[in-house]
Amino acid sequence: MRRLLAILASVITIGVGLVTIYDLTIGDGALAAAFLRLAAATLALMIAAGVINLIIVHVGRILRLRRGWVYSLVLLISAFATVGFWLAGQTDATNLLLNSVQVPVESALAGLLFFALVYGAYRLLHKRFTWAGLLFVIVLLILLVGALPLEQFAPARQIRDWVLSVPVSAGARGILFGIALATIVTGVRVLVGQDRSYRE
Amino acid sequence: MQVDAGILTIIILLVTLVVSLLATAVARIRRQSIVLRHHPAYAAMPLLVSESLEADRTLHFSFGSVIPSGTTTPLMVAAAEVFTLLATRAAVGAQTPLLTMSEVSALPLAYDVLRRAYRLRGRTDQFRNTAVQWYPDGPRSLAFAAALTAAISDEKVSANIFMGSFGPELALIMDAAHRRGQGAIAASDQLEGQAVAYALSDEELIGEEMFAGGAYLGGSAAQVGGVVALDMLRVLLIAGLLLMVADRLTGGVYLSALLRGGG
Repeated sequence: MRRLLAILASVITIGVGLVTIYDLTIGDGALAAAFLRLAAATLALMIAAGVINLIIVHVGRILRLRRGWVYSLVLLISAFATVGFWLAGQTDATNLLLNSVQVPVESALAGLLFFALVYGAYRLLHKRFTWAGLLFVIVLLILLVGALPLEQFAPARQIRDWVLSVPVSAGARGILFGIALATIVTGVRVLVGQDRSYRE
Repeated sequence: MQVDAGILTIIILLVTLVVSLLATAVARIRRQSIVLRHHPAYAAMPLLVSESLEADRTLHFSFGSVIPSGTTTPLMVAAAEVFTLLATRAAVGAQTPLLTMSEVSALPLAYDVLRRAYRLRGRTDQFRNTAVQWYPDGPRSLAFAAALTAAISDEKVSANIFMGSFGPELALIMDAAHRRGQGAIAASDQLEGQAVAYALSDEELIGEEMFAGGAYLGGSAAQVGGVVALDMLRVLLIAGLLLMVADRLTGGVYLSALLRGGG
């Protein structure tokens, strides 16, 4: 039975994939748009699954008094309060929660991000010395110095602009080319049924 | 889509299809002759699983913000393959691996990854539903990063494997992991996240290497064929780029004229 379902899943995936490609490349795109709308509607239903997952995970943690259960309690209270305010039509309260809790906390985390990145550069050379690592840190330092709004660092700013527009841009495009190529190969593997993501 | 772009897309897909099928056929016939180069990240992953089993601690996988309905879908498929292969090894232990994501639509695939791993080991009864955890993200995914820094501590994680879509917020999570002495291997399709992953990862995993996990950890002919096809297409791409450079240097006399249909 499971094998039959796997074959059915393969047939549906390959069939829908081929029809979508045909419609996007040769057809008028209407059928592909319909498939995408269907996928979007299905995925929207996942919100319900996500909320159930959130409740199961955190209620379980509270009931077992596992480490961090207080955070789970705060999370559930916040979630239910936000939903409650929204159902009661009190959008001011939900905006207040967002602007006075969520935004400041995330801003603080964004500030901490800088120190984590600097620590990352330190760790890169600390764990083992490689020429690539050294180059990475030197470029990072040039970019940071070049970003300072001081006249004394004008030469560093010119180097920074060149680094960003030539080697960094070329390297970034190389990485993105590689990812794009691998994406196409993986897509084709799914289309010809070589991928294991929907079968045993 | 314009007709020209459509035809070009079909040509690219057909070339990819032919190369993939050829590479898979070659991999099936001459599997022993294809030797994948040593990759430190994929060599380290089974060791991280072994360490987590010996220490009776949890292994943490994360998809980040990949979604199953967009350009990140194939990346999600590749990451799911890696996680399945590693979770299957980890499924013999007492601790269920933890799988997190910030995109709710990835939830069904995440459940499937872990459930399949336990099914393959014949230990479905040991699967824990709460091992899949969704943390809704806010702007810039910082809320997701904050949640994960707490989760990797609370769940007694031994090592983390982040494969998917992450931004610079990955630095916060990996910093927290290192402070707790946890191993971490990361890769992202976002350039900012990839830069952070390169600096903070125990072993580097860059760009298309994320898609080669199945071949390194699984090793079936189809998986190895995918890597060989990728290599062949990479050579074709480089040849194409060099052709375009040569065409530009010669003032577009040959290639551009040929594409325009001229003599």
